[in-house]
Amino acid sequence: MQRRFQDIELGDELPEYAPDISLSAVRSFAEAVGVGRVGRFTDHEQARREGLPGAIVPGIMSQGILAAMIHKWAPGCQIRKLDTVFRAPIVVDSQARCRGVITETEPDASSVDIDLTIVNEAGETRVLGTATVRI
Amino acid sequence: MIIDLHNHSTKSDDGRAKVSSYCRWIHKREIPIHGLVLTEHRQFDDESDYRELEDEHDLLILKGSEVETDYGHVLVFGVNEDLLNAFDFGAIDLKLADVVQAADRCGGIAVPCHPGRPTVGMVAHYEERGPIEGVRVIEVYNGGSRAGEDEASLALARELGYYGVGGSDAHLVSQIGLCATKFERDIRSMEELVMALKEGSFEAVSWR
Repeated sequence: MQRRFQDIELGDELPEYAPDISLSAVRSFAEAVGVGRVGRFTDHEQARREGLPGAIVPGIMSQGILAAMIHKWAPGCQIRKLDTVFRAPIVVDSQARCRGVITETEPDASSVDIDLTIVNEAGETRVLGTATVRI
Repeated sequence: MIIDLHNHSTKSDDGRAKVSSYCRWIHKREIPIHGLVLTEHRQFDDESDYRELEDEHDLLILKGSEVETDYGHVLVFGVNEDLLNAFDFGAIDLKLADVVQAADRCGGIAVPCHPGRPTVGMVAHYEERGPIEGVRVIEVYNGGSRAGEDEASLALARELGYYGVGGSDAHLVSQIGLCATKFERDIRSMEELVMALKEGSFEAVSWR
């Protein structure tokens, strides 16, 4: 369903999105972007040897996941900017959730600003950021 | 009067919130705060002028700083020229004792924030090296705290008789107003805020 700018209000929340960050999904992504041999993304044991709690989701995959959430909410929209801060690693095979909420609406540009977060099972923010999206 | 004492704007390297957006969000969500303090990381924002926003949104907007010490991160209120010359706000290896003393000497106050957080909070450092003289107020509610962190901060405040404040530690617009500090009297300026903090006439509040 195409989303219309005039139907969007400050404070609207995007539907929460549970991304697939299973080891197989992350390995597929890592291979596709050329980091398939980087153990901290694709091998829990190797990641633990490096001092991590397990294999971690690549940052660009987190960005892709957030972009996917936005496009699921507003198919056909144009993401003008996606800016993320990586606070803590997201562990592969965990249950992460992505959230978004509208924090600005710009009628002249037909665009909105969205606060974005990825949280872990404990509700702790691992990635935060913002997007500017033309509807 | 309720003020959110700990927030970051795009002036901070990891802040992604415009101050104007904070103001609109507070009204839209009917967040019961009357003001906010911008505590940018490792700097004092001497340039920004928020008086128009204050008038437009009927909010008090003050500026402080969040600096980095050997005992973790510390909010500094009442920053003035003397204090800016007392230590390097951009340094990451400041001594908490020096910051506390300098703030007090220059008419401000230093408030260690998120004390219960590993590494960047003071609880773990206290356990290793003991308390620092001159600390009177700490942040006991922080909007970004993980499970157990605020509890550790509250326990420290109880143990050592510190006053406790609250702040959201917002880096995104939608994070403001999670925690704040309720003052017994009206605050109209940074000087009045510092005075109230030194008096202890407030309580920390959390809506998390």
